[in-house]
Amino acid sequence: MLTMAEAVREAMSIAFDERPEVFLLGEDVGIYGGAFGVSGDMYHRYGSERVLDTPIAELGIVGAAVGAALSGMRPIVEIQFSDFTAQAMDQIANQAAKIHFMLGGALHVPMVLRTPQGSGTGAAAQHSQNLEPWFASVPGLKVVVPSNPADAKGLLLAAIDDPNPVIFLEHKLLYKIPGRDPVPEGSERIPLGVAKVVREGKDLTIVATGIMVNKSYEVCEKLAAEGISVTLIDPRTISPLDMQPVYESVEKTGRLMVVQEGPAHAGFINEVIAQMAGSSSFGSLIAPIKRLAGMNIPIPYAPQLEKAAVPQIEDIEAAAREIVKNWR
Amino acid sequence: MALTLQDQITSTHRGHGHCIAKGADLTRMIAELLGKEIGYCGGRGGSMHIADVETGNLGANGVVGGGIPIAAGAALASKMMKKGTVAVSFFGDGAMNEGAFHEAANLAAIWKLPMILFCENNKYGMSSSTEKAFAINNLADRGKGYGIPGVNVNGNDVVEVYEAAQIAVDRAKKGEGPTLIIAETYRWKGHSRSDKNLYRTKEEIEEWRLLDPIPKFIARTIKQKKLTQEQCDGIQQEATDAIVAAVNEAVKAKAADPAGLLDAVFKKVSA
Amino acid sequence: MPKMSMTMETGELLLFHVKVGDQVKSGDVLFEVMTDKIDMEVEAPADGVIETLVGNPGDVIEIGKPVLIMLTETEVMAFDFGGDAAAQVETAAPTPPPVAPAPVVVAPVAPTPPPVAPVVVAPVVQAVAPVVQAVAPVVTPAPIVAAPVVTPPKIVNTSVKAVPKARVEAANRGIDLRTVHPTGPDRTITFSDVNSAQVDPAVLKRQAANKALIAKGIEMTRGIAQASFNRRAHANFDHAQLISAWAKVLRGRPDIAVHQHVGVSLIIESKYGSALPVFRDPDLISVEELRTLVSSTSDAAKNGKVPIAMLSGGTTTIFDLTTYSMSSATPLLFPNQVTSLTIGYDSESTKNISLTIDLNICDFYDGALLLDALIASL
Repeated sequence: MLTMAEAVREAMSIAFDERPEVFLLGEDVGIYGGAFGVSGDMYHRYGSERVLDTPIAELGIVGAAVGAALSGMRPIVEIQFSDFTAQAMDQIANQAAKIHFMLGGALHVPMVLRTPQGSGTGAAAQHSQNLEPWFASVPGLKVVVPSNPADAKGLLLAAIDDPNPVIFLEHKLLYKIPGRDPVPEGSERIPLGVAKVVREGKDLTIVATGIMVNKSYEVCEKLAAEGISVTLIDPRTISPLDMQPVYESVEKTGRLMVVQEGPAHAGFINEVIAQMAGSSSFGSLIAPIKRLAGMNIPIPYAPQLEKAAVPQIEDIEAAAREIVKNWR
Repeated sequence: MALTLQDQITSTHRGHGHCIAKGADLTRMIAELLGKEIGYCGGRGGSMHIADVETGNLGANGVVGGGIPIAAGAALASKMMKKGTVAVSFFGDGAMNEGAFHEAANLAAIWKLPMILFCENNKYGMSSSTEKAFAINNLADRGKGYGIPGVNVNGNDVVEVYEAAQIAVDRAKKGEGPTLIIAETYRWKGHSRSDKNLYRTKEEIEEWRLLDPIPKFIARTIKQKKLTQEQCDGIQQEATDAIVAAVNEAVKAKAADPAGLLDAVFKKVSA
Repeated sequence: MPKMSMTMETGELLLFHVKVGDQVKSGDVLFEVMTDKIDMEVEAPADGVIETLVGNPGDVIEIGKPVLIMLTETEVMAFDFGGDAAAQVETAAPTPPPVAPAPVVVAPVAPTPPPVAPVVVAPVVQAVAPVVQAVAPVVTPAPIVAAPVVTPPKIVNTSVKAVPKARVEAANRGIDLRTVHPTGPDRTITFSDVNSAQVDPAVLKRQAANKALIAKGIEMTRGIAQASFNRRAHANFDHAQLISAWAKVLRGRPDIAVHQHVGVSLIIESKYGSALPVFRDPDLISVEELRTLVSSTSDAAKNGKVPIAMLSGGTTTIFDLTTYSMSSATPLLFPNQVTSLTIGYDSESTKNISLTIDLNICDFYDGALLLDALIASL
């Protein structure tokens, strides 16, 4: 079964084959095959005309991608660590995100920015961030967070199709492992802005992003064996966000828990809570909304410290049990 | 003109001139300033974000240096798509100290992009003079750092600028890569309306006013008997009339409606 | 020792009317008491057997303390014997009209066959000077199904935390969240707290008691041969006039009565269910006074507040169906009641009056006469 890295490569290859204007640029994506091996052998298959190695110049690279996108190309730009999107923020947030709106629709930016995010590799504070809220809070960007290889393939194809700038956040820990479901053959797209109900239950609704979907899934399996049934929802696209299945589920379960890796304060997942709190489904809640998220600290180096900084399976399990037990 | 309609430009926050020179519709430009629906950006961009795809204008930019990497990208696309066009990035002396300038110039140099880096050196980045902002005197020397030609021109001499530009365009179209052109000029008024000009002297401003390029050009053309005074007057009157007509029309136009705002963020995904 | 006036704190036991081993019926006089205001006869709240005489004549006994112990079959008492109920009961009217009872400690319960459970009794007493009479069999009306009408639910929380669905549910059902006992973390009211407990646990007990009573009531009235008559009447009468007229008609037929007084129960819908305040001997006061009393009692009942003493002593019941646009109905007669009336809608200017009778006591002919007499007098 394909790993996430392989699934992403497969999606890019399909897009390359479908459209000559699609190309990849980034640091070490060419000969090296990508820092995390995602582009792999694409350089050999497609050549240096379409797989461009760049110097270390995130702002310049992303800016060039914007300019190319404005001029008829469909660039995929890979930023080696999501932390380094900071160097490129002007071109991402001030240029790409705003061009279509500011220029009255005269131009648009069909660009995908792919970047690995997240902690768990011992790479410490500047190489481990989850920056979902940075992008989700900028109108004009679409933000996608795949939790498994199968979704990653279909979502990336849809992102490349999209005429707007899409930030595609891949979790480092997922690159080398296959998912629960095999990656489908073919080139079917998974539409952006549609959440997935991963499993259905009646006792609790969990909304989780990225790697937390998988951790939550394991908790759901364990609880199911004890008769506690949990609905697990993966938004897949965090901006624009599909809340409809969340409302429907909470109206059945009455209990909502949200799980993300990034720091709790001002994190993306708060958007789910905010929308729920203001919705007509609010009156279905029989328990306070529970949020599990990272500690409000930079990611520490030592393995036990790094683990402690973000929610683990045990944390998710304990929280789920507590809500179901104490709130009837 | 050194550029064709298909050649692309990116510009600065002071981009009206580039816009008009590249062939913009005056009414739509003024309408944009007045927040009208028929404005170039539907009233959503304003003075600093005017773009006109048809005339190759990829937009003025409110961020200093913001347009330079974008122009590099446009040049990259031109090369990849074999369009044969060039991309010109207009920027000021202030932008040359932005990281964006450096990264874009380097990319253009290593990939030999068909690009012109055109600096309108008016000696001031808002209130910081080039004397204070640069440790070098000759800004064109920076070209060496990237391995590309750095050319000085008198920005107030129309013909000199044209000639230098043409050379750069030819070089780019031949695939030889970018050129850095530093055009010396001056900014008469403050950076913006709130600028009290405390960082320079009245005398300096007066000196440079005497070097106004338009009267200079007119004088030379007449002297060279290429145009008569009447013709020159006629051209100037035409320009004035065109602006006045555009203003009058734009003023009458309908104001932009907030109703469409949410839909304006993303381009619709076609089915 | 019953509390027979607001200021009474003790009563002096004068004499017993019964001795140990006596079988008594509900309403029989058990003993006499002297208070600062009046001499009173205290009646048996239920059928039973005298087990122990606790006090001695001449003793000054505090209110709420035992005077005698009787055994009765009733297992469930609908109302508190403790002081709480007394403290929260309102009087029926500002100036005590003749039929308005003083707050009392307990209205005990069911009419019943031979006693089984021991019960400490502080019985219901009429503080009415002119009418010293045996209290009729005290009957707790079956239809009080929902939360008790009498005691306002105890306020358990003053600052209320409740989950959203609990709030929605409470709002829909007219439950005051301050009366709900929270079992959630941080003293938060959970959905199931509102859903199941409703008010405080004592109330749940009362509800169970009511259910048991209804079941018993049905059992007891099964096999009572009933008949119903309808007559059309003009619509120009209000509740007070009806109650007064009906009471007069019944008073004129002591041969069809099992009680010595006339107690007219009027069914009133409250937010807790049906309340059945009893207007004792309403024909003995003026219609205007009665009207005031009916009005204030109705208002109080709608809010779940009826004095305990007004819940007993019904000898006949009136159901007004016009609020439901019904024209007639045949209700179950309450145990120990011989008659009941339903007032139904007939037209804008006429009403339908139905009389239901217990055929064991009142035959068809008598029934017809009663209805005639009533309609004639309206």
